Amino acid sequence: MNAPSPALVAPRPERLRLVGQRRQLLAVMHQRLMFGMLVYAGIVAIIALRLLYLAAFGDHAGRKEGLTALIPERGDIVDRNGDPLARTIDAWTIAIHPNKVIGDKLALARRLAQLMPEQNEEQYFALLKSGKPFFYLRRRASPSLVEAVNALGEPGLAIQREPDRLYPQTTLAAHVLGFTDIDGHGAAGIERAFDKQLSDTSSRGEPVTLSIDSRIQQALEHELGSAMSQFSAIGAAGVVMDVHTGEVLAMTSMPTFNPNAAGQGTPEQIFNRATLGVFELGSTFKPFTLAMAMDSGVVSGPGQIYNCPNVLPAYGHLIHDTHPFGRQCSVAEIMMESSNIGMGQIANQLGITRQKAWLKKMGFLDKPEIELRERGRPLTPGSRWGPFETMTIGYGQGIAVAPLQLAMGYATLFDNGVYHPPTILKRGPHNPLPAGRRVFSEETSYKMRALLRLVVVKGTGKKADAPGYRIGGKTGTAQKIINGHYSKTVNLTSFAGVFPMDDPRYVIVVMLDEPKATKDTYGFTTAGWNAAPVVSRTVSRIAPMLGIIPDTNREPNMAEVLPFVQEAKKAAKQSSDKD
Amino acid sequence: MSSRSFRSVFMVASCAGAALGCYLVSLRVASERAQLEEVETKIVLAQRDMRVLQTEIGTRGRLSQLERWNAGAFALSAPAADQLLKGGFELARLAQPEHKVDFQAPVVLASAPAPARPSPMVEPEMDDSGAPTAVAPNALLHEASLKTEMREVPARSVVKLPLTAATSTDKPAIAAKPAHAKSVEKPGLAAAHPSAKKDAVKTVSAPPKKTVDKPVVAAAKPVTKPVRIARVDPLAPLPAKHSGQSRETTADR
Repeated sequence: MNAPSPALVAPRPERLRLVGQRRQLLAVMHQRLMFGMLVYAGIVAIIALRLLYLAAFGDHAGRKEGLTALIPERGDIVDRNGDPLARTIDAWTIAIHPNKVIGDKLALARRLAQLMPEQNEEQYFALLKSGKPFFYLRRRASPSLVEAVNALGEPGLAIQREPDRLYPQTTLAAHVLGFTDIDGHGAAGIERAFDKQLSDTSSRGEPVTLSIDSRIQQALEHELGSAMSQFSAIGAAGVVMDVHTGEVLAMTSMPTFNPNAAGQGTPEQIFNRATLGVFELGSTFKPFTLAMAMDSGVVSGPGQIYNCPNVLPAYGHLIHDTHPFGRQCSVAEIMMESSNIGMGQIANQLGITRQKAWLKKMGFLDKPEIELRERGRPLTPGSRWGPFETMTIGYGQGIAVAPLQLAMGYATLFDNGVYHPPTILKRGPHNPLPAGRRVFSEETSYKMRALLRLVVVKGTGKKADAPGYRIGGKTGTAQKIINGHYSKTVNLTSFAGVFPMDDPRYVIVVMLDEPKATKDTYGFTTAGWNAAPVVSRTVSRIAPMLGIIPDTNREPNMAEVLPFVQEAKKAAKQSSDKD
Repeated sequence: MSSRSFRSVFMVASCAGAALGCYLVSLRVASERAQLEEVETKIVLAQRDMRVLQTEIGTRGRLSQLERWNAGAFALSAPAADQLLKGGFELARLAQPEHKVDFQAPVVLASAPAPARPSPMVEPEMDDSGAPTAVAPNALLHEASLKTEMREVPARSVVKLPLTAATSTDKPAIAAKPAHAKSVEKPGLAAAHPSAKKDAVKTVSAPPKKTVDKPVVAAAKPVTKPVRIARVDPLAPLPAKHSGQSRETTADR
């Protein structure tokens, strides 16, 4: 840089050459230095800017991701009051990597067999020797077992937490809820019907709210279960439904299973008799036939008289009654004593075309409209639907529907004749009440109140009465088909009730499959002896929860039907004589 | 001179100060945000713990388990129809002293009339509990055709037992046949009465729908209805010795 000026000393030519070279060299060096400095400064500037950016907008080191909201692995299912019916929990899972086991395998197999005795030590040893990479030993292990396994100190054992589906109420509403398979996807019930909603990340934070009320469900299941064991029935089903909204408040099928261990349930237990099973429900169909006849103008009112002989020959068959009149009888008496002969004649007057049209309108010829996938298609005579079949369908034989559909029919009949599709989800902003479809006229609906109350007050359903709750309803005893013939002894009994009858709000349907006679029923297996008491007991438990105030002074207008009941007068006189 | 030469230094210093200030603000914001996140995380963790505990409690106290305990230990059952009252009026009725008849009380003729009054039947005003307020018991009495001056209650009986007498004034007890005697002729029709009323409404217009929801009003109504003239002196003393014979009269209520 400080080169001597060329004017003072005349340099030698070599030296001059050297100076020129050095200057060149220096210039290059300066350039390189400058470049290196710029690069260095640039890097420093980038780091500084990055630091500033991170200080202003960046995350700090201790930040935990993914915990800002509690979203379960799979959505909850809750009842209408918000009580959980299905939840996903973190369960302990015990697994083993046989290749990573470093201890004595025989000793380990021995200890494992002690702790988890579902396999013996040879099996555990074979498993450890198999050389495979991974085995589950136990899913949903208890904490004490996890602690004991952990204490073995074997690094090949893997103890992890995995999401697992838990049904806190165990068997309660098992058929409604369904269950999930091993991959966590719904395999039955609500779990299957709403699988997408329950597993989708955007929607699983919100629980699926059912219309089921777990207290009512429990009452129904308990009463039905005790009746089933009392009468040694092979199965049972029950439905409680809101008349005005179509909400299913309780629905059960028995025998039941535990969805927490659905793999242990037999097909018989997992089968949902309330929606998937279709049954010939017998006389519980009679109110529909009568309502159809009233609306079509075939029957003018409860006072119309029919000839009710002991046996009615019709189209080459004979129709029998359990309580034969053997005289003229009114429509009110036909309902009260559940006369097949009388109802058959009414159905015959109605005719095939009209009967089919009515049944179609009520939704009895199609699968029930409910969110569950387990829905049974009703069985009808189909092409054999002749005049005699019309008569038998009139009193409930020859057509098989699900118990839920029967409840739906009663709800239609007593919601002033308007049909609302049944639903298993709570009515609300997410599931608004659709506009109904008028099936029966309001007047017919009103007239049926007193008729069905009469059945409980004076007829076959006396044991269904719960004091103060004004239950009205109809018993149904259907003979089961055994080897192609209607059995005389094996029955399927049901009771369809509505309460309170002076302003119907709830429907209850109860069905018992093959109940046996007991000492208390004096050898009877008809619905009045086994299904009706279940209704009485259940209603007296659930009605206070449903907000129905018992009132022994309130009744539907019985003056509409009582004048047409002959037997009742006699019975009343007898009872007053006794007093 | 000096200020001018230090100007650049001041500029640098103030710039650095401003930058530092900005940085401190942002640091403060970041640390606040970090704390908030920490709290949020704690909340979520607490929620998760609560969920786990709730699930555990719910599973241990599931309804079938409660039912089993109830069947085994507590034996509680649903209330029966007569265990539920429809309002304060029915509750008050339970506490009402039992009405007893005194056979030694002065006999008052059944046909004894009250003094003439143009309109004896006025709807008494109700207070909250449904009981009539400020209505003289005489206003509830029906008139009879025959008039004697002996009807007025003797004052000495009031002196003897003023408390019982005061309560019994509400209810002039057993009477001769009242003016609207029809419902009394058929005692069993008490139960059928509301439905008959409903029928009457129905013939006029649509059937009444929500009558179930207002039982308190319906229960309160009969207070004004059974106006009967006393066969026995209503203000007479009511000693307890004839409790056995009083059954039929109390049942009449």
